[in-house]
Amino acid sequence: MNDAQHPPQAGRYIGQRVERKEDARLLTGRGVYVDDVSLPGMLHVAFVRSPIARGRIRSLDASPALALPGVYAVYTAQDLARFKIDMLSFFLAAPAVQITPLASGRVAYVGDPVALVIAQNRYIAEDAAGLVQVDYEEETPVVGIDAAREGALVHPDSDSNIAVAMGEEHDEAIEALLAQAPHVVSTTVHHQRVAQSPIETRGVVVAKHGEGELTVYLACQSPQMAARYIAQAFGLPPTGIRVISKDVGGSFGLKVQPWREEIAVIAAGLIFGRPLKWIEDRLENLTASNQARDQQMRIRAAFDNEGRMLAAHSDYDLDNGAYPHGADCNIAVSMFLWAAYKMPQFNFYTKGWFTNTVGLAAYRGPWAMESLARETLLDIAARQIGIDPIEIRRRNLVYKADQPRTTPFGIPLEDITPAECLELLLQKFDVAAFRAEQAQARKQGRYLGLGFAAYIEPTAGSAGISVLASDVAQIRIEPTGKVSAVLSTHSQGHGTQTTMAQVIAETLGVPLADVSVHEDDSSRGGFGAGASGSRQAVAGGGASIKAAELLRDKLRRVAAHLLETDAQRVRIENGRILVDGEPEKSRSLREIAEVAYGEPERLPEGMEAGLEAQYRYRPPPLTLSSAAHLCVVDVSADTGFVKILRWISSEDCGVMINPAVVEGQIAGGLAQAIGTVLLEHVSFDARGNPTAVTYKDYMLPAISDVPDFEYHHLCTPSQSVGGFRGVGEGGCIVGPPTLVNAIADALSPFGAIPLDLPLTPSKLLEVIEGRSMAPRPAESAPVPVPSAPVPSAAPAPVLEAPPVIATQTRIDGIWKLVLATPIGPQKFNGNFVTDGDKVSGTLDSDMGSQAFSGVVEGNRLRWDLKVTKPVSVTLKYDVLIEGDKLSGKVKMGIFGNAKLTGERG
Amino acid sequence: MKPAAFDYYAPSSIEEACRLLSEAGGGATVLAGGQTLMPLLALRMSQPFIVVDITRIAALKTVTRGDGCTRIGPTLRQNELIAHAEIGRALPSLVTAARHVGHHQTRNRGTVGGSIALGEPAAELPATALALGASVELRSLRGTRRVPLQDFYFGPYATALEPDELLVGIEFPDWPAGTSWLFREIAQRPGDFALVGFSGAVTVQDGRISRAGLAWFGMGPTPIRARQAEAALLNQNPEQIDAQAIAQLAIADTAPFDDHHASAEYRRTVGRRLCAKLLSETLPARQAA
Repeated sequence: MNDAQHPPQAGRYIGQRVERKEDARLLTGRGVYVDDVSLPGMLHVAFVRSPIARGRIRSLDASPALALPGVYAVYTAQDLARFKIDMLSFFLAAPAVQITPLASGRVAYVGDPVALVIAQNRYIAEDAAGLVQVDYEEETPVVGIDAAREGALVHPDSDSNIAVAMGEEHDEAIEALLAQAPHVVSTTVHHQRVAQSPIETRGVVVAKHGEGELTVYLACQSPQMAARYIAQAFGLPPTGIRVISKDVGGSFGLKVQPWREEIAVIAAGLIFGRPLKWIEDRLENLTASNQARDQQMRIRAAFDNEGRMLAAHSDYDLDNGAYPHGADCNIAVSMFLWAAYKMPQFNFYTKGWFTNTVGLAAYRGPWAMESLARETLLDIAARQIGIDPIEIRRRNLVYKADQPRTTPFGIPLEDITPAECLELLLQKFDVAAFRAEQAQARKQGRYLGLGFAAYIEPTAGSAGISVLASDVAQIRIEPTGKVSAVLSTHSQGHGTQTTMAQVIAETLGVPLADVSVHEDDSSRGGFGAGASGSRQAVAGGGASIKAAELLRDKLRRVAAHLLETDAQRVRIENGRILVDGEPEKSRSLREIAEVAYGEPERLPEGMEAGLEAQYRYRPPPLTLSSAAHLCVVDVSADTGFVKILRWISSEDCGVMINPAVVEGQIAGGLAQAIGTVLLEHVSFDARGNPTAVTYKDYMLPAISDVPDFEYHHLCTPSQSVGGFRGVGEGGCIVGPPTLVNAIADALSPFGAIPLDLPLTPSKLLEVIEGRSMAPRPAESAPVPVPSAPVPSAAPAPVLEAPPVIATQTRIDGIWKLVLATPIGPQKFNGNFVTDGDKVSGTLDSDMGSQAFSGVVEGNRLRWDLKVTKPVSVTLKYDVLIEGDKLSGKVKMGIFGNAKLTGERG
Repeated sequence: MKPAAFDYYAPSSIEEACRLLSEAGGGATVLAGGQTLMPLLALRMSQPFIVVDITRIAALKTVTRGDGCTRIGPTLRQNELIAHAEIGRALPSLVTAARHVGHHQTRNRGTVGGSIALGEPAAELPATALALGASVELRSLRGTRRVPLQDFYFGPYATALEPDELLVGIEFPDWPAGTSWLFREIAQRPGDFALVGFSGAVTVQDGRISRAGLAWFGMGPTPIRARQAEAALLNQNPEQIDAQAIAQLAIADTAPFDDHHASAEYRRTVGRRLCAKLLSETLPARQAA
């Protein structure tokens, strides 16, 4: 259902659902991604990564790797130290703690890059990476925010695990208001860690040309930004660095800046001289690419008896991992928490924590927690106060009539429309009919739920952050009469080659087919931050309109001069020059362009040759988009499964350039929202090992999980040139609370649902059954088995079964055991007790203790141990004891054999 | 995610394949459809010295009917199984199970034997074959042996298959007329391994249940036969079956575990419901009061 209202500016192209110019190329496999780039003499890189979450590197021996044929070099932090590289934040600021591209002395998370191997091909590079011998002194890692509060320092040179903190934990004035309010609603929301999961993982090809020049092919969100970042990180002149990024298969915030691996490969390319390629594999992407969210928020909000907001306090914590893309306490969460609502007074406390996990990165709507926390709280408040969830929003949202106003955070509101979006939504859905259906369904044991959420979203911010201040468009009418534009926008699949061409074609008056847009090469065009902060329609669109206007005006002046008429009477339509009232003077663009380039003496006196224009546009400080969504779910009381029956979006992103692209952005964000609420979860065990390392366990929403969305558009023009507003992140922000609220509504007969994402069937069935179904700790005690299969090790030797030697041997007692697993040695203690031909005891490690029992034949012991985590496997131990030494093998099901050695403890 | 080096062989006869496995002394892995093996190789979780690709052995692909059984060659692709009219008539729940294995694209590659031989406890085909009373024929240079599936699975990915043995056929006994077929699973997304699943067949002759084969998947370290439930059904009048009680017995044989996706208690609770519902929908069973 699409009922786009045509905004006043809707024209021949702007506002039209034109087909994307890039689709034929992309859909037929003609895209050029980093892995499509192959250069003569190119070698391949693989990383040696830490198998432990925290510890000191005692020693590193690369000689076995270097001895492998086809291996050219192994570099460590020491080799790269000559560049004095700072891993800058997205804002090009120095990091809060020192971050080197490769681990220097210490490792801080599982997957931390310790060394890189340069080899003939990726196969050999991975073989060699497994041969690099690293000896670690393992320390107890800090995993999770609670551990960060009390555990060891993640960065031993810092004075606390707090990366950044802002606000006030305690505010007397707020506390006083909360104390006397008729209703205080208090919630705590836990948002799991998620992985951005772009289809194209990170990747880089670097080629050094002589001493002063470097070409970098990079999966990134802006080649301009990346070139500037690389120049600044290496202290090199930006003029010599060319970043090419033709097509990108999604980023969602992950590729907003080059990170440790890409920078390490570039450094290696500078040292080694030959072109190098590194393509992140999916295992690396799910374990060693920076991740997102992983946060919790406690809110206390006071309401009067009519459900009007009085005061609130929020306390927010964000896991930064070890090396975030810029230490962050996510101030935007607090800034936008109440921005669209009439909350008279609030305060906040917000902290970012360092932990021994892979670092934090942006993810579509990085501050989205504000909507999740607030909109779920509003539903709880509505239930608690006894008013309708729609009504509580109507009483508190900022309507158009309430503006202009300024939020307590100082954000000026002039034209936000979340309330109007909600009203539009309510025109499209019969709530009363649904409530009747819901009541009827409940009698039959079906649990339907309806959820709402409303929000505003900051887009195209241009104030306070220098890299986001402006974007540039350079447009030429070529001598052929065709138009080419070089922009500082960049497509990650956004369709900017189409939308920007629509804007230019509309403004210039030329056919869309005649406009081509280029944004793939930092050596063409000027600086801009590319695809970030939902800014391209606003900043890039505005720059395109202004540049096209300049060019149009020049064209009219040139045409008027050549055709001996007045510029006021010259129009450009469909690529032709028309003169009012004088049809015989119609000319093609090409005819005018040939003169402008080839016969500049025929131009007006003093006019520059050619038909070219450039405009650097700074959009308003902040352009706000608004939306309200609803969805209907059916939650099975038998299984806790959630089926989404209907989802309606009502949004206001100002003037739409291409409604199909707008709806694509909303749909993509909503798909991610559904994944966040129901499926996706980056989790770690107590040792900091990631436990969802492939797409079997890291569950993305599939086509079957994502319904057809219905879209309704309000189109309130913004203050920006063109009237556009950003729409890139909204679905991912408003989607989660919409769905959570619907599930909570469905299950309200059973009680409150836990605000702890993802809402798995297990968690929901607990609500339905009213009893705990949580895993029993004893059953899930971790044991030493390969957990994070970081590719590294050489094959475990296949051992022959040890011969049985019938001598009397002392077996009982404590043994120190080492299991050689594919991810490196795992140490634990064995406590053996024999009783005739039986042996029993426990295997103990930091991760827990597990009992076993088996058989003794002479000095040979055999026992089986069933393990369910991180994978289900039966470990078959078969060991031989000779004196104070123990040796043998452990058969690990499909994972092969591992060698076990030990000595009496 | 590139496999460690291995030698690749694509023998054209069973004998040659067995010789390769024998000579490798445990260092070889059999490649059929590769839907499990290739990711494990790429992740280097499996690092065999030799990979023996058996998909070029014509004799391993055949389907024969007769002597009271259906014999399926191990390299029959899952989608070929689904499209096979005779198997569809003889073993409907096996075909239903195959439809739930992975996705259309993976079923074009994945084989019946590959799934049976791997022994993933949450997979559809091993449990269904177990329920239907199938046995596997294992061949090596040492000879041939037949192992009923109930003696084949030891633990997750642990089977009776010796390193030098090749699975050369899966034999399903015929089920008589009057058989009802059961299959249902709960998976987070279509194509995922089941959180819990139940499969099998029940035969009613002369108003009495004469035969029952039932098994769970995703409910323990192996596919698990619901022996107590099978025994309780035998000789009963299907119209007087208490589906809830049978489901309770069926659950009693399981040993589910907690993992990233669901808790053991979730599996038991949902499994019991799924089983009761499936029985009462399939058999004219009496609903518990």
